[in-house]
Amino acid sequence: MVKLRAKCLLFGDAAVGKSSLSHVFYRDGNLFQKNYSMTTGVELLMKSVTIPESSDSVELYILDSAGKEALLESCEKMWGEPSLLCLVFDLTNEQSFANCSRWMERVQAHCQGLHVPGVLVGNKLDLSDRREVQESEAKEWAQSQGLEYHETSAKEMINCDAPFLTLARAFHALYQERCETIQNLGPG
Amino acid sequence: MIDSSLSSLGAKVVLTSSSDQNHPSENIIDGNTETFWISTGMFPQEFIIRFAEPTQISTVTMDTYNVKHLKIEKNTSQSASQFEFVTEKELDCTEGRLQSNAISLNGGSATHLRFIITLGYDHFVSVHRVSFRN
Ligand SMILES: Nc1nc2c(ncn2[C@@H]2O[C@H](COP(=O)(O)OP(=O)(O)OP(=O)(O)O)[C@@H](O)[C@H]2O)c(=O)[nH]1
Ligand SMILES: [Mg+2]
Repeated sequence: MVKLRAKCLLFGDAAVGKSSLSHVFYRDGNLFQKNYSMTTGVELLMKSVTIPESSDSVELYILDSAGKEALLESCEKMWGEPSLLCLVFDLTNEQSFANCSRWMERVQAHCQGLHVPGVLVGNKLDLSDRREVQESEAKEWAQSQGLEYHETSAKEMINCDAPFLTLARAFHALYQERCETIQNLGPG
Repeated sequence: MIDSSLSSLGAKVVLTSSSDQNHPSENIIDGNTETFWISTGMFPQEFIIRFAEPTQISTVTMDTYNVKHLKIEKNTSQSASQFEFVTEKELDCTEGRLQSNAISLNGGSATHLRFIITLGYDHFVSVHRVSFRN
């Protein structure tokens, strides 16, 4: 039995639903705030996820950052050495998807060349008649970045755990892989 | 001079910031580089070694993997608190084999040594052997 710890960056354009998504996940889906309350710094949420078919767990330390450009610089000070990445855009806002490349570049600067597992999340799935980004298009870009793709609705509480479970699993798999590698190392 | 295993000399690892039952902290001081303690995510990481009695130490040798930056502190008290800085070191990346380093501690005696790993070359770092020369 092992308890892993992962620093998970939650980032993306303002008002795409990062805080809503993390709160729904954090509170097991009993809190959605209709009124927009902008995140002005970094909000930290911790939740432990059990890895299926094992007695292992991953404590996710989720750093929910402000999406607003002017507030970002102070957030970035806390982005050092992330373990996991969660990039969110709004399915009803083409621009928030287009900006994802820039977000990835920005975050990559804090990863120090390490492979950091990540997911791309298209949120506001409930607003299907206002959808501007197609699933296939988002999936394709996610793949090109090595990210797994999920679609969610924080409002309707659809699929909100999935991105975080994917992340926890990926981190756990990475740990097992590393243990194996280290087991087979030669002497110094 | 031959390094004897620390555990046989009555030293103990009294604190670690990570724990995996499969890779317990005793592995740090069992004198065997094939067994190891591994960090389980995020930095900094640390472990504290306690000696049975105040011990004169000039050099610590460490076999590790993917440790990038390391700080060592010590104290001469009975409790594992109130440490003073001894030294810090940036280790080279050695892909596929262990990092092996001898670190001078500037003499003096200690009852606790605290090792703080502030950064790694990977998400997870391992410590295979710590031994001392006096
Ligand atoms: N219809 C719908 N609205 C949502 C959904 N998720 C969030 N919202 C709304 O979108 C607005 C912004 O949500 P937040 O969670 O504050 O967005 P954010 O990404 O954290 O924004 P910043 O903190 O400014 O970066 C709020 O009014 C939410 O109620 C969703 O899945 N569907
Ligand atoms: Mg927010």
